[in-house]
Amino acid sequence: MSGSIASTYTVIDVWGLVLAMVMVCAAAGISVAMKLGVARSLVWGSVRSLIQLLVMGIVLTYIIRWNNAWITVGLLCVMVLAAAQIAMGRAKGAPSGMIGIVLLSLAVTMLLMITVVVEIIIRPKNWASPELIIPITGMLLGNAVSALALGLNRFFDSMRERADDVQTMLALGATKWEAARPSIRNSVKLGLLPSIAKLETSGIVMIPGMMAGQIISGESPFQAAKYQFVLLTGIAALTLVADAIILALVYKRCFTSYDRYLVPPPAPALSLKTLKSMFRKDSLKHLLEHGTDSATKSADKAEK
Amino acid sequence: MTSQTQQTPASHLFEATGVTCQIPSENGSRTIFEDLNFYVDRGEIVDLTGPSGSGKSTLLTAFARLNVRTSGTFTVNGVDSSTMTPQQWREQVSYLPQTSTLMGSSVAEAIRLPFTFKVRMGESEQSAEEVLPDTKIRAMLDSIGCSDINLDRKPRELSGGQAARVSLARTLLTEPKVLLADEVDAGLDPENADLVGQIMQEAAERGMGIIRIRHRATDHRATRMYELAHGQLKVISAEDAEQGGEA
Repeated sequence: MSGSIASTYTVIDVWGLVLAMVMVCAAAGISVAMKLGVARSLVWGSVRSLIQLLVMGIVLTYIIRWNNAWITVGLLCVMVLAAAQIAMGRAKGAPSGMIGIVLLSLAVTMLLMITVVVEIIIRPKNWASPELIIPITGMLLGNAVSALALGLNRFFDSMRERADDVQTMLALGATKWEAARPSIRNSVKLGLLPSIAKLETSGIVMIPGMMAGQIISGESPFQAAKYQFVLLTGIAALTLVADAIILALVYKRCFTSYDRYLVPPPAPALSLKTLKSMFRKDSLKHLLEHGTDSATKSADKAEK
Repeated sequence: MTSQTQQTPASHLFEATGVTCQIPSENGSRTIFEDLNFYVDRGEIVDLTGPSGSGKSTLLTAFARLNVRTSGTFTVNGVDSSTMTPQQWREQVSYLPQTSTLMGSSVAEAIRLPFTFKVRMGESEQSAEEVLPDTKIRAMLDSIGCSDINLDRKPRELSGGQAARVSLARTLLTEPKVLLADEVDAGLDPENADLVGQIMQEAAERGMGIIRIRHRATDHRATRMYELAHGQLKVISAEDAEQGGEA
């Protein structure tokens, strides 16, 4: 039993959920009245969120109840795979074939998070405690996915924009790394901004979600604050690690043999048209080599 | 088996053989030029002219092994480019693009950039500022008629002519064996263009081999002149070159 304060936890009943949806519909009504155009995505997003969160809540209830290390590990694997897939979907500027590297980078950071933050810093009595590992991993993966997608997009866009700079640097004797470094630096910085912003504003401007949640469930605010600090710093540090790993593995994709500059076209967005065309062999080959038409145009422009 | 009756010919400073360029297009690939040969010797200035789109820049970037669409065999003093790292090759065969891209917050920093690269660090572990202090840069710029350019100025504040000269200075300070100058005097007024030509002539007199892409009428500084058109390299004489000078 935790906490020195008597439990004041109030459960939300069905009517609470209904009223929350009513609130969303009211906001949607304002959007319709003012012709703001966000009514549909707001309502749809809320419905999705309700279903996804409740399902996750039920799943986690059982997983915590079973308290089985293998099941916990199984869920973690599913989470990492889903995170990698979401990151790839959001990284529109990146070329195809990156899923393996993204997966590797996320898996490594997740393992580091669990080893360092959970086992070494927090040191729970039950090392495989699912109620600790799963939420913390979830928060890390959510942050890392955003940072990775942002970083990857920014990196490849930057390498395309800097075509003249890169060629000039290569002509003056730069290595691939030296020529790519300004883009890498730019991307890591961008990916890390949200984490750093959170570190700076937490506590004074706002109470972060994890801390707020623990206070609501009756835990002492001071204990909650310590948890929040460990989590924020862990996430910031490991997001940097994930970003750095990915970019260090990926920057070479912008060069061919003899260190010549060539940014591969962005991976084709998976739409019904591209899926259909994939079933015609010759166009699949062309698609994988040259990307979509608009991507080829920008790639050729960058090569000049 | 060993017949030593024939002496091996002295190798050129720079030689390119079998240079080919193919660009992918909708119906497969299009050949811009195929199997071209070229050479430059110490102290030579070779001019390359030809209609727009004939592939002159492509040829030069092929020589520097920067172009992904080209292939060929390239040697400097008989040593093949494939026996060294790309950085070592480009240290000796330096491509100078037409549009000057100066990176850094000041002219001095832009000129020092090549000396921050590993290929020029060597074992001395000196920083770029130690290898190339402001005084050295100043002296160099003054010696090539660039006393009008302030070392502290931001590169983007320079005029076109000034930027072109700084770009040339940056490359010359790295002392390459071969300089590939891609229309460096394009868009310059006649005075600046002549200054640039003079700077290159002095570099050639010190032993550099220079290939220039030019569109202007000849300035009589070249030892040989070629025209690249429809995938063919043709020697042109001084009289033909007099008629040049279109944009």
